[in-house]
Amino acid sequence: MNDLYHWLHVTMKALAESGTLPRSLMYEFVVNGLLCALFIGPLLGALGTMVVVKRMAFFSQAIGNAALTGVAIGIMLGESYSSPYVSMFSFCILFGITLKYTQYRTSLPNDTLIGVFLSISLALGASLLLYVSAKINTHVMESVLFGSILTVDSIDMNILIVVTLVCAGIGMPLYNHMLLASLNPSLAHARGVHVRTLEYVFVVLLTFVTVACLKVVGAVLVEALLLIPAAAARNVSRTLGQFVTGSIVIATLSCLLGVLLPMQLELPVPTGGAIIMVAASIFVLTTIIRATFPGFRSAGV
Amino acid sequence: MGTVATGPAIVFDDVGLQLGGTPILAGVSFRIEAGALHCIVGPNGGGKTSLIRSLLGQMPHTGTIRREGDGITGYVPQAVDFDRHVPMTVRDVMALISQRRPAFFGTSSKHRRAIESALERMGVAAKSQRPFGGLSGGERQRVLFAQALHPSPQLLILDEPTANIDEPGAQIVEDVVLELNAQGVTVVWINHDWPQVRRLAHRVTGINRRVIFEGAPAEVLTWAEPQVAAP
Repeated sequence: MNDLYHWLHVTMKALAESGTLPRSLMYEFVVNGLLCALFIGPLLGALGTMVVVKRMAFFSQAIGNAALTGVAIGIMLGESYSSPYVSMFSFCILFGITLKYTQYRTSLPNDTLIGVFLSISLALGASLLLYVSAKINTHVMESVLFGSILTVDSIDMNILIVVTLVCAGIGMPLYNHMLLASLNPSLAHARGVHVRTLEYVFVVLLTFVTVACLKVVGAVLVEALLLIPAAAARNVSRTLGQFVTGSIVIATLSCLLGVLLPMQLELPVPTGGAIIMVAASIFVLTTIIRATFPGFRSAGV
Repeated sequence: MGTVATGPAIVFDDVGLQLGGTPILAGVSFRIEAGALHCIVGPNGGGKTSLIRSLLGQMPHTGTIRREGDGITGYVPQAVDFDRHVPMTVRDVMALISQRRPAFFGTSSKHRRAIESALERMGVAAKSQRPFGGLSGGERQRVLFAQALHPSPQLLILDEPTANIDEPGAQIVEDVVLELNAQGVTVVWINHDWPQVRRLAHRVTGINRRVIFEGAPAEVLTWAEPQVAAP
């Protein structure tokens, strides 16, 4: 893969120097950022539709916060400061499964339980990060919290590619069953769908995606990129196809523009923040479209 | 019954169920014959839906529920608890339930004809491109009934499918149920419409936490109706 990345960097640089492409593409980290955007966009866009339908917005935020704890644990265990993936994946999966397991065994409303776990993950993450902060450069923390394409390397991109392939390989064949299980568990069960198993599978996929996207989008904002494109697409969609396609297009566009615009306009904005601001602008636009045109007002009902 | 029975028989043997320590069902034993149209009646809160959900494998229970024979199960739930705000057309809903290919790619050619046919049968083919959430409660119930027709079931489980449906819709449901049953499909139908039960059912079982009566409608309903209807 490294050869492929190298070839891409050289090609893009040559095209940028010749004036065919924007000059910012001369830099490796911008090309890396765009590559990541091309994977993250479709991944988060497609998964986001499921998050919106399943009403799991705060669930993914809790996972993002748990990643902070994962980073701290990784650093304490001696993992690489910039890519403590083993700890992040392990802790977040454990956290997500525990949360889901608890959901099935308590009568508490979902939002209350997720709120409790979200607070726990934030408190634990903040405490441990404070403990390890003396050992590391604060920019590492900043990049985990808000994302930074400057720190994206080939390992991050490889992980992102593997996660994208795994999620597509598992998520696509199970998409209908997962959606049906969240829309009407009783009917899904009658159709032979293993509702609980699929809930756990979804939690694991969501965790994979959240952790894999941290370096680019950041722990605080990854949840927003799961939600905003799907919410924007939902504003103007009448069919499931439009909903999913729209969410993927909006998420990908947001990622690409979020990486490119700060470079082109020389704005001191972190990648994650820029991506979310672009996505939020599209959301506002679709909300206005929905409110203005009667045809869209009946979309989704 | 004069038909070749292709649907399975179902045997409930000493089935019991508790929810949060509260007994819902106790010692429920009866048999649904293969190819029968078997109605389950009883007061609200008597455990009929819990029994059906146990049959579908959705609720942990004691005792045994045995299916004698294989075949696809079609199920029409009591409540239409779909999220009405999800942008999905009627065709999307049918594709989502019926096919493996992700529904956002559209209806697969393999299922398209059967889905259209099921919607036509339930009188909602004209609504196939309409948002599912924008349909009336009765229309949504008809769509849910249509999904139970594809793939062709050998066992049809109906949990008050006509509760929200107008008279023409209820007539369509009745016609389709009778047609399927005539082909040998076993029908298990939770039904509060006693005249309809008396008219259609081969057997009827009254459930109020336990089996309170069981037999041919003409034999048991005459004396059972006032008791079950009483508060």
